[in-house]
Amino acid sequence: MREKILYGLGAIAALLLARNIWVMLTGLPDEAFQGAIFRIIFFHVPAAFTCFLCFFVSLIASISYLKTGRMQWDSLAVSATEVGLAFGAANLISGMIWARIIWGIWWTWDWRLTSMLVCWLLYAGYLVLRRAVEEPAQRARLSAVLSILSFTVVPFVFFSIKWFRTQHPQPVLYGEGRMEAGYRAMLYGNWLPLLLIAVILVAVRMQQEKRLRELDALRREAHAF
Amino acid sequence: MQYLRQAWTIAAKDLRSELRTKEALNASLSFALVILLLFSFAFDPTAEMTREISGGLLWLVFAFAGALLLNRSFARELENDCLDVLVTSPVPASALFLGKTLANWVLLLGIEMVCLPVFGVFYNVDWARQPLWLALVLLLATWGITVIGTMFSALTVNLRLRELMLPMLVYPMLIPCLMAAMQLTTALVAGQAPAGDQLAWLRMLVGFDIIFTALSVALVETVLIG
Amino acid sequence: MGDAAARNFQYLAYGLIAVWAILAVYVLTLVSRERRIEREIEGLKRMVEDREGK
Repeated sequence: MREKILYGLGAIAALLLARNIWVMLTGLPDEAFQGAIFRIIFFHVPAAFTCFLCFFVSLIASISYLKTGRMQWDSLAVSATEVGLAFGAANLISGMIWARIIWGIWWTWDWRLTSMLVCWLLYAGYLVLRRAVEEPAQRARLSAVLSILSFTVVPFVFFSIKWFRTQHPQPVLYGEGRMEAGYRAMLYGNWLPLLLIAVILVAVRMQQEKRLRELDALRREAHAF
Repeated sequence: MQYLRQAWTIAAKDLRSELRTKEALNASLSFALVILLLFSFAFDPTAEMTREISGGLLWLVFAFAGALLLNRSFARELENDCLDVLVTSPVPASALFLGKTLANWVLLLGIEMVCLPVFGVFYNVDWARQPLWLALVLLLATWGITVIGTMFSALTVNLRLRELMLPMLVYPMLIPCLMAAMQLTTALVAGQAPAGDQLAWLRMLVGFDIIFTALSVALVETVLIG
Repeated sequence: MGDAAARNFQYLAYGLIAVWAILAVYVLTLVSRERRIEREIEGLKRMVEDREGK
């Protein structure tokens, strides 16, 4: 049943993506200054949103773990963090490819870019920390604390383009630099399939965490003789 | 009141044992001086160049020296199960944490006090042109380094690869604090009082200290006791 | 053709490929981890059964 739901969600995501890419290439006109390359934004921005949402879920799961001590919360935290890192990497790389064309450089030490990279590194450190701890309860506890500490940068990344003068473009969804309605609809419309994919990946990863716990128990049983 | 006295007792204990054995202090101080020396090969220490990067240079040295110091902070208590004793003593975990942070803070400030004149001599810089502002920045940014560092020292104390994990986790976390300190120090060493953008950096430094002190005090109990 | 080059379709394609390649790599790591877990569980189960059989 569970698998069927996941396959169903995957099919919906694939259909939506195919439709979005079709509309993006045929239905939407080029942006006046950037040409076709601007369409990267329809993946770049939703990937960032998905990444932050994943980290937020990880924060909530970490707090819940510390409150309740249930390992399911720990599984959710690590799954969401991993998927968030994948989407964060997609966001960074797609942004770099866009920057290569528009700015002529791959990378610049701008507030937004730097803080996003720091954020990514912090959560990568979370995964490294998990590998260094053997005992499951201790691992869950320490990584939950790290996840909570790491989340402090996320609002900073999010608002950095409002707080500082950055080379990174200003917000496109609200305020003065708002995009036209058609573009905005496409941006949100493309967020949906990415979000579905994230949900599927988190679900699969959580299942794996469950298997890993079984494996751990089996190992103990096997060596207990 | 009781709480502050407990924190102070821990801090005094740490300081006393460190000043008697000097195990981390010696290593950290000599490491700082070596790095300070090495930087003179990394770039041509002309007056102009030194003025531009003085803040970055100094804070990298302090951050490296700090990591050595902080590595020992909780690891020192592992011998003879001292950490278990501390945790089971009536001192609350957050007072233990604050005491240790305070001790590290004083030690790191001491190292900075030695490094600054050496920096001034080696690189021919008159660094004390804004002494009060510089002192403020040193106090605030060093508190930022030690509060994060002590927290992660507690977090990694029971891990394999402790010496590796601590810098790997601490430095990304410290970036906002170090960035602010570097910008401010560069301007202050050049003799400019903070204004405009610099004040924003100062506010960020204060905010960083408050946020992470509060978070660490709230979370340290789960880290040490579980 | 010149028009397509001016509009940077090439880099748009690189961008989209990169995004999906990253996600694909992540899915592959998931699959390989799944295999490893399966294998280890199988091995351990057999080990426990053998011991109980004796």
